[in-house]
Amino acid sequence: MLRVENINAFYGDLQALWDVSFQVNEGELVALVGPNGAGKTTTLRVISGLLRQASGHVFFRGRDLSKEAPHRIVELGISQVLEGGKVFTEMTVLENLELGAFIAEARKVKDESLKWVYQIFPRLEERKSQRAGTLSGGERQMLAIGRALMSKPKLLMLDEPSFGLAPILVQQMFEMIKEINRQGVTVLLIEQNVRAALELTHRAYVIENGRIVGEGTGEQLLSFESIRSAYLGDGNV
Amino acid sequence: MFEGLMQNLVFGILMGALYGLAAVGLSLVFGVTKFLNVSHGELLMLGGYASFWLFTLWQVDPFVSLPAAIVFLLVVGAIFYKLLFGRMVRLTEGEKIQKTLLVGFGLSLILQNLAIHFWTADTRSITTWYSGAVFAFAGVRFPLVRVASMVIAFIAVVALQWFLQRTYTGKALRATVENWEAATLVGIDVQHVYFLSFVIGAALAGVAGALVSVGYSIEPTMGMSWTLKSLIVMVLGGLGSITGTFVGGIILGLTESATGFFLSLTYKEVVGLVLFILILIFKPQGLFGTQGR
Amino acid sequence: MHRIQIALTVLLIAILLVFPLVIKSDSIINLAVYVLLYVSLASSWNILGGFCGQTNLGHAAFFGAGALVARNLWFGGANLFLSLLAGALVAVALALLIGVPAFRLRGVYFAIGTLALAQILYITVGNTFSMISSIPAQDLAVYQLAPRYYLFLGIALLTIATAYVLINSRLGLGIMAIREEEDAAESLGVSALKHKLIALVLSAFFGGLTGGAFAFYHVGYYPQLTFGPEWTFDSMMMAYIGGVGTIAGPIIGAVFFVILRELLALKVAELHLVVFGTLFILVVLFLPGGFMGVWEKMRQALARRVTITPVRQQGKEVGKAEIG
Repeated sequence: MLRVENINAFYGDLQALWDVSFQVNEGELVALVGPNGAGKTTTLRVISGLLRQASGHVFFRGRDLSKEAPHRIVELGISQVLEGGKVFTEMTVLENLELGAFIAEARKVKDESLKWVYQIFPRLEERKSQRAGTLSGGERQMLAIGRALMSKPKLLMLDEPSFGLAPILVQQMFEMIKEINRQGVTVLLIEQNVRAALELTHRAYVIENGRIVGEGTGEQLLSFESIRSAYLGDGNV
Repeated sequence: MFEGLMQNLVFGILMGALYGLAAVGLSLVFGVTKFLNVSHGELLMLGGYASFWLFTLWQVDPFVSLPAAIVFLLVVGAIFYKLLFGRMVRLTEGEKIQKTLLVGFGLSLILQNLAIHFWTADTRSITTWYSGAVFAFAGVRFPLVRVASMVIAFIAVVALQWFLQRTYTGKALRATVENWEAATLVGIDVQHVYFLSFVIGAALAGVAGALVSVGYSIEPTMGMSWTLKSLIVMVLGGLGSITGTFVGGIILGLTESATGFFLSLTYKEVVGLVLFILILIFKPQGLFGTQGR
Repeated sequence: MHRIQIALTVLLIAILLVFPLVIKSDSIINLAVYVLLYVSLASSWNILGGFCGQTNLGHAAFFGAGALVARNLWFGGANLFLSLLAGALVAVALALLIGVPAFRLRGVYFAIGTLALAQILYITVGNTFSMISSIPAQDLAVYQLAPRYYLFLGIALLTIATAYVLINSRLGLGIMAIREEEDAAESLGVSALKHKLIALVLSAFFGGLTGGAFAFYHVGYYPQLTFGPEWTFDSMMMAYIGGVGTIAGPIIGAVFFVILRELLALKVAELHLVVFGTLFILVVLFLPGGFMGVWEKMRQALARRVTITPVRQQGKEVGKAEIG
């Protein structure tokens, strides 16, 4: 469904991604793991169009995304949740969700989508009239994901959904992500919390210093010696 | 003495409503796009002249021609955006503010001098059959035209607020102000949002200008003074709040009138500028504070 | 500086010195006076606005203050040069007065803050000194244009020379560092405030000096005139169109401006401003280096063809190499 081929990306003169290639098949839950600053977020930004790559291609359902504006990419079916779950704090939970259904296709089915999101995240329905700025960190993350779901994406990209969450909430969060995937949304997940990510996913890629250095199923990677020591030894890198 | 003061304050409020309207236009543009369009005053001037000529040439009542002024400024705003300001969308925030300041200023010079060239530097004003109408209340005179202008300004601001709070597009605008990346990731065409805010801001300036032409007077060089007033009110009223800005306009009007009454006319013209500088220096965030986020 | 440049400069100065002796037409000398005036005004603006990167929209305040003080002292019987100096110093005092608080404002704050300040002065002076100021009859009888010309020439040369020396000094490096990246410069030990103030003081001094010369030159005017924002805006536009942040830029811009104004004055009074404003916008949007920038690019392109070729790596230029 998503094919990333030989992406080289720069911030100014600084190269951030080197020949990054990977793919995500329909229905999968794929993780992109790696240490801080490895280029995970950069990769997502290239896919969603926020950052223009210097060379390489991103194919989504056969279509080259290179020339598309970010809002068009949303229309094509990719929805990204930014790191830290950036919600529109001045608006209510409901307004945030409604904005999630901004694109024409999604607006038509807004009410159904809303029901669907409330089903996955009941807490959001409780708080629907509250200003998003008053939500807790975990709730904001849920809202951000819920908002992304409102556009009925084929591919959902999550940037560090567990970031800043208490361990119990992390577990819940991943349960919800699994549920979303079960309901038919393909998911690409970025995580620093490698163990949790690897336990969750079908497949994962490891990225370090802007390069893909490993690939395999969750179990395979979990058993790699290097991964164990680098990431799972004495806490996160 | 008291009546004199009350009269002055009333005039201040009536004028202040127009300051507020003009400032709201500039504030909208700046809030969304971070363009500091210092030719805002000239857009107002164009609105005033549109109204004036429609009246002088074809006897169209200035209140009736308001929609025409709006359309005119929407078009003019669109042209300026496509030609000039739209090119600066991709700059960093600091660069954007700096460059639009310079471009806006060059544009204001061009518009000012074209206006002088085509319409002469004379001061103009619209006088209708009801221009002299006044109703008196508690010893204070309320010129009908100015009161109507204030009401219209108020309605315009309320309409804008409704648009921003209750329509999808309006919410898209607000979302873009808060976080343009998150907005674009929701499918909002940020470029389009920028364009929309700019032309709406221009239209608001046009309405203000049209109201100024009938209740007060217009001339080609009025632009800079109105741009400055709008800037002052923007800073006074706090960025990001439409109602705050409108109220700020009224406060400026009142302050000017009170100053003129208690001190002198010189100080009246200057008090706003002094306030402006004081706020810039002492208010820690001023125009570019991170809007509280 | 290359020998050719030095020779040309000397030649130019020589021409300027003998100019009024050779040209007998008063109207042309008046034109030259205005060119020199604008050279000084634009160059002095450029010191703060171009080299230091602080867009000062209140430059007219210095011009006006210098004019006001010099004029009044001179009319009162004081020695001309002392009057001019006093005018310039008052402008500096004004600059320091507003500079210290104003520089707490960054970037565009500073620009609109200075604009507001200049407007305050403009309005206040207009209300306080509302009578037209005319040169007394006895002085008018012996009014000669040539001394005025030489005064403006001297000030212009002084301003440019100061700018030149400044730019090639360590102080100048600090000032330009502020323009590029103020925070980075600060962290390297360059005191931003000190450098900005120096640039401001120099800018104000020469702006005020020019104002004093104007007071000596212009027969009758309303004092408010010299505080008018057009002095600031014209100077700024000249600097940008000629090439902001260069020595020659303001000079080119000034010459261009006055010539353009002359050419278009035959048609309608203010159209030169429309043209100039358009050029200004074009420069800001597309040609940030102004005339000098274009000139530099052409020079580089020519030089490159002959001996120097760019070395490319992955499509990006990483250096130059000489061949042949």
